[in-house]
Amino acid sequence: MTTGPISPTPATLTGAVRDVLRLAVDTYRHQPRTADTLRHQLDRLDQPLRVAIAGKVKAGKSTLLNALVGEAIAPTDAGECTRVVTWYRNGLSPKIVLHPKSGPPTPLPVVRRDAALDIDLHGMPAEQVDRLVVDWPAQSLRTMTLIDTPGIASLSTENSKRTVTFLDPQDDTPTEVDAVIYLMRHLHVADAEFLTSFHDRGMVQANAVNTVAILSRADEIGGGRVDAMLAARAIASRYRAEPALRGLCQTVVAVAGLLAHTGRTLRQSDFMLLTELADAPRDKLDAALLSTDRFLRADAVLPSITVDTRRVLLSRFGIFGIRLSTMLIRQGVRTPTALAGELVGRSGLSDLQRLLHLQFGERRDLLKARSALLALDHVLRTTPGDRGTLAAQVERILTGTHEFAELHLLSALRAGSVTFPRHLTDEAERLLGGAGIAPAVRLNLPPGTGPGELSRAAHIALRQWQRHAENPMFGRRTADACRLIVRTCEGILAAHTPPPTAGR
Amino acid sequence: MAAEPVKTIDLALAAISQYKRADLDARLRQAKARLLNDHVRVVVVGEFKKGKSMLVNALVGAPVCPVFDDVSTAVPTVVRHAETPTVTLVRAPDANGIAQRHSVPVEQLPNYACEQGNPGNRERLDHIEVGIPRQLLANGLELVDTPGVGGLSSVHGAATMATLPSADAVLLVSDASQEYTAPEMEFLRQASAACPNVACVLTKIDAYTDWRTIEELNRGHLAKAGIKAPLFAVSTTLRWMALQGGDADLNAESGYSDLVRYLRRDVLAKAGELANRSTAHDVLAVTDQIAGSLRAEQSAAQNPEKIQELIRQLTDAERRATGLRERSARWQQTLNDGVADLNADIDYDLRDRVREILRQGDEALVSGDPTKTWDQFSKWVQEAAAAAASANFIWASQRARYLAQRVAEHFDDERQHLLPTLRTESGDPLRSVPELTTRPAEPWGIASRALTGLRGSYMGMLMFGMLGTLVGLALINPISVGAGLLMGGKAIGDERKRIIAKRQNDAKVALRRYADDVTFHVGKDSRDMLRRMQRDLRDHFTAQAEQMKRSLQESLQAAEKSVKASKSERETRLAEIQAELQRLEAVQRQARALLPAGKPVSKEGAAA
Repeated sequence: MTTGPISPTPATLTGAVRDVLRLAVDTYRHQPRTADTLRHQLDRLDQPLRVAIAGKVKAGKSTLLNALVGEAIAPTDAGECTRVVTWYRNGLSPKIVLHPKSGPPTPLPVVRRDAALDIDLHGMPAEQVDRLVVDWPAQSLRTMTLIDTPGIASLSTENSKRTVTFLDPQDDTPTEVDAVIYLMRHLHVADAEFLTSFHDRGMVQANAVNTVAILSRADEIGGGRVDAMLAARAIASRYRAEPALRGLCQTVVAVAGLLAHTGRTLRQSDFMLLTELADAPRDKLDAALLSTDRFLRADAVLPSITVDTRRVLLSRFGIFGIRLSTMLIRQGVRTPTALAGELVGRSGLSDLQRLLHLQFGERRDLLKARSALLALDHVLRTTPGDRGTLAAQVERILTGTHEFAELHLLSALRAGSVTFPRHLTDEAERLLGGAGIAPAVRLNLPPGTGPGELSRAAHIALRQWQRHAENPMFGRRTADACRLIVRTCEGILAAHTPPPTAGR
Repeated sequence: MAAEPVKTIDLALAAISQYKRADLDARLRQAKARLLNDHVRVVVVGEFKKGKSMLVNALVGAPVCPVFDDVSTAVPTVVRHAETPTVTLVRAPDANGIAQRHSVPVEQLPNYACEQGNPGNRERLDHIEVGIPRQLLANGLELVDTPGVGGLSSVHGAATMATLPSADAVLLVSDASQEYTAPEMEFLRQASAACPNVACVLTKIDAYTDWRTIEELNRGHLAKAGIKAPLFAVSTTLRWMALQGGDADLNAESGYSDLVRYLRRDVLAKAGELANRSTAHDVLAVTDQIAGSLRAEQSAAQNPEKIQELIRQLTDAERRATGLRERSARWQQTLNDGVADLNADIDYDLRDRVREILRQGDEALVSGDPTKTWDQFSKWVQEAAAAAASANFIWASQRARYLAQRVAEHFDDERQHLLPTLRTESGDPLRSVPELTTRPAEPWGIASRALTGLRGSYMGMLMFGMLGTLVGLALINPISVGAGLLMGGKAIGDERKRIIAKRQNDAKVALRRYADDVTFHVGKDSRDMLRRMQRDLRDHFTAQAEQMKRSLQESLQAAEKSVKASKSERETRLAEIQAELQRLEAVQRQARALLPAGKPVSKEGAAA
């Protein structure tokens, strides 16, 4: 990931949060457990952002995780598969540690079967497992720790409950994650309920800002036709406009997890097979690709490819993947790299990665600081005694930090509790960082725009929003919101007007 | 419905025409009309995007239900047989209970049936009827495509549940991408309680390699939940290809042939079996009554010395048959008491459910400013009310069925009481008389018949009534909200509290009004349903008692007449009777042939 221009505030924000946490650890030094929790929070500030992947059962969570990592590490299966909350974080060498609910953590042997990890809980029932932590050397995990969760609305209510308690603890303790990728196949009551409940609790300052929703298994829409992804994108854009979802998540994108994963792990041998298939007579191939059963028939097409090989190909690509790949090869894709690129591009994974970078990556310090402050706030509220200075400091950071105010307003806008006239809503959201926090993105300019251009645009925006703030037709809350956006513009101006050397 | 039973009824009608029994004639004609009008309704349900509309299309082999990649079906679509393709829009019944219907050109169907043309069913349609000439539908099969359930607690889900008791079969559609989820299993559990035939369909097996695993997993879930429902794995893509190319192998591979066979053999045939059985009973009952008179006369002619004894028995029986019509008859009491009890119970159940909604609603309202949460809140209330109404309805219809069955049993019991005396005393010729009383299937037949009146009537109210007509909840007084907004800037302290308290009160009043509306409408529907059932059952059994009384009277007259007759007259009459009995016997044989083999209605197979 590229590092965007880091504005000075988040760094000092992290510093301020670190200071207040240290002060808290000191204050609570006589209560070892509380001090431990706080120290844990302090450590978290230096760790990668924690992103949970949640969704209904069989929404394709593990497949997406594999696609994001670029390796088949999370086990996937036709039936319900993920039964315990599993953390995947960057490590020097592969290591799996099982954390039971009670008792010391136990390391588990790292066994791989068909590339995927084969995790054996050693007979421990899933209910007794608090979490599995997998350390894995992977580039993608450096910036983000990914957390795979069991599906909600699962038949095994126990599995569902584990996810819900993990992401939305009933006892009001702040959650362990900083952001959530929510997968759904089609918007279902269970999805909306879950997202709502997830936001109702504990998220004091902001809500829609740390959730991204994904229309998953997008390649299966319309029975896996070659243009399935186009249809999926259209549906995703409809969901983006859906008021019920606007308040619950930042945005909705369509992703075909299997396709993305296969694209990222495409092998030369896969490519050879696909080329062979693509060279077969068109009508024969089409007939064989009518159904998976037909494709697996020995006499279907090209008897030289064994049934087992076909099965592997099918499990890696899916029927849609094979249809798409053979079509691409026929249209002139000549190398594995080009095919992989096409597959990943079409799968929507790159969109998702860009989105994650904009929404979570660039904001990671802010999101982590927020998690830490929420945790501290919880400690202050639940432990007896006078913590006047600490509480005041937390309050000062929460209310005094412009970024938090931005997040807060952004989610208020999305939830509809603050409203602008329709033509202003989009611009307001963008200026507040709804599409990404880089100044160019906020000002709707192409990336890499020079500082002069930036400051000019910021100036225009500033003027406009100052005028809006004075508009007598706006209510008090809307006027307040305008003033906040004015401050955002001022911030951009301040960072970019001084001699061009201060830019990037 | 089918040709055979109709033919049998026609035969019986011809056979009894000379006896001038208008009552029996009417009974047979009624049975015939029922047969001709009967539809076998198969409701296709499931979460959205599982391929419900595609399934219906593939079953009938025509694109009758519009299909899109995005959520599409907005209005339930009833597909049935018609000579030429037709599309009829049916709006929910208005205040006078009249459902508006009007036809539109076939190509306009997508404008009404799907989310794209009719978002959120803004046309306020109750359902759409599509007629299409298809052999599969010719036997009265009717396929209902429903909007996706979207979870059981949604309004759609509740409305779908409410249609189930009136369905002959339910097809739960899920796709091969995943095993059953908790909401689907819950749906199956409720559906199998409400409907006799539930089948599961696993679609899109062409796109998933592991569909067999999913199928196995699903079978496991079904077995674990104790649901005995067959599961069919199908591929709509293959079915379309097969239909287009006329390829029988491909059709078998698509799995649709099994599903069609199930619909034909199990659903249609079972419904047909029920129709056959009730036809056979009607025909047997009618012919037996005629034959009874003839046999009484025959017996009198053969044994003139026992004639007084016979007359005494017949008079006795006739007196008791008269008693059956009286209000004091036991079955009448069972019916009246049962309906009264049921009315009270159902009303209580509904009120109890609504009260619980009110309690929870009040709790939610006191916690803050209701204008902020109003959208969510009103949606929740509507969903809760829909769920309560459908649960109440399903329970009511189950209890009503049970009551109908009990009444039928009582009636038969009493008739048993009445007839054995005839049988034990009168020797051979009358032996077949009591057989008409032992009808194993009759109670259920009657119960379901009495309840057919329910079809459609209740569904309309629930389907969209909950969304549309009960607008009491739609807005809390907009003036108070506006005032609140204006004052919002200045309101401080007590003033603000006062405003919030006022809004809370307004919201509570709106909630109460809505709850009243729900109790009123749903309560009225339940009461209507019960009243209809009571009337139907009473009429049905009274008519039967009437017929029996008249038959006994005729027997009596015939017996008395034979006392006066001379020997030669008796001889001729006996021969006549013999020929007449044989004719009736032939009709009865045909009627019995309608009954499933191995399950004879009569204890004595020898007579047949």
